[in-house]
Amino acid sequence: MDDILIYGGYILVVLNMILYTYSFFQKEKANVFFICYLGFLIVIQFLMEVMYQIKMNNLYLTNVYFIGQMIFLGFFFNDILNAKDQKVFVKCSLAAALLVLLVQFFLDSSQFLKFNLFEITLTSLVVVVFALLHLYNMLTEYRQYYYITVGVVIYLLASTVLFLFGNLTNGLSNDIKYLTWALNAFLYLVYQLFILYEWKVSFSKKNCIKKI
Amino acid sequence: MAANVIPEKELVAIILYTSLFFIILAVVLIVFFYFSRKKIIQKELEKKDLILQYQKEQLYAVIITQEEERKRIAQDLHDDISSKLNIVSLNSHILSSPGLTEAEVKEITENIISLTAKALENSRKIAHNLLPPVFEKFGLHAGIQELCEEFESSKTVQVHYKNEINFEEKDLDRHLHVFRILQELMNNSLRHGKAGEIWINFKIEDEIKTCNYKDNGIGFDETNAENQKGLGMKNIDSRISFLDGTIEINSQINKGISVTFTF
Repeated sequence: MDDILIYGGYILVVLNMILYTYSFFQKEKANVFFICYLGFLIVIQFLMEVMYQIKMNNLYLTNVYFIGQMIFLGFFFNDILNAKDQKVFVKCSLAAALLVLLVQFFLDSSQFLKFNLFEITLTSLVVVVFALLHLYNMLTEYRQYYYITVGVVIYLLASTVLFLFGNLTNGLSNDIKYLTWALNAFLYLVYQLFILYEWKVSFSKKNCIKKI
Repeated sequence: MAANVIPEKELVAIILYTSLFFIILAVVLIVFFYFSRKKIIQKELEKKDLILQYQKEQLYAVIITQEEERKRIAQDLHDDISSKLNIVSLNSHILSSPGLTEAEVKEITENIISLTAKALENSRKIAHNLLPPVFEKFGLHAGIQELCEEFESSKTVQVHYKNEINFEEKDLDRHLHVFRILQELMNNSLRHGKAGEIWINFKIEDEIKTCNYKDNGIGFDETNAENQKGLGMKNIDSRISFLDGTIEINSQINKGISVTFTF
């Protein structure tokens, strides 16, 4: 059951990557930063899987995952936000968050070998704020990447809490330990389904929507 | 057992970060909803303003049209009737002066009779222009037929009129709007479009009464906004909105104009 969820997530993310890359080279161009984000997800997951198979500790990859996610989604929202002051806000908060994390890394680098709670909270909140900013813009205007944004908000809110409890689950017995991660895998699957649906709405040929 | 493995410090950190996460999230969401509400209300207000502006413009157009119409009627009365009645009155005065020969009296009386006849004819024409009696008595179809004949009698334009709708008498108020729209369109075709031929076609499409109007005049550039904001067009627009209908105007320079409206 867990395997189905996890590998289903892998398959979906690869499928999304293929579909969005295909759309990128069509007339209705998909956002390049979002494709980078999907690619980044695939690479991280592949590395995690490989390290798991050769029994290496892959926990520090989650930190790379969170920082990378913030950067790629930050650029993605920076690209699709229209107002100039919003773009400035996104860039500034991205830079500030990275700076703070850098400082933390120098002060206490051991945090990066396990679930870094501060980093998880910070990066997730930053991305959620960007997503809400975009939702705010879409209130009265044309809906662009609506489902992706909704997916990002739902997935990040839920998974962040799961990751925050990550260090706690390390001490639990194996049976219960994987329950939270199965839930996370399920949420990830839902998130990828949102992204897939977005592709269907925005880029599949039948209902092409003009990109403004 | 599990609790022993996890240091207390770690546990506190987890609780702290989780609560922090939710607190910040709650604040962000509240701010989000606050601004969203504001934005939506503002948008609504803008919409209302736009409607008000539009209504104002329509009212303005109505007043201007009314004034123009008054001016036209005043001019008609002055030129065609008052001038003639003036001469009649003058002639009557002469008639009352003493020492006129019988031939003179006869000439003056004939003058008076012909002038009053002309004044009568003119007043009938003016009244007819304001509201054709045929339209009132026999309905839209006959009214348009007569309108076409009038236009054709000027010999410069040929009108092809076809009607597949049986107009009901109880809708006469609505039909007057249709009649006026056609009058305006035909006047425009003749005056601005220099059209040689006009096609008018009434039919029922999907249970909606539709009128196709076409001419072969010089047309206009539909991308030019100035052409769409003339008084005549505004007048037509407000009549269409009275009728709860739709209107579509297509035109290109030198390719005539084609108008389709429903009512």
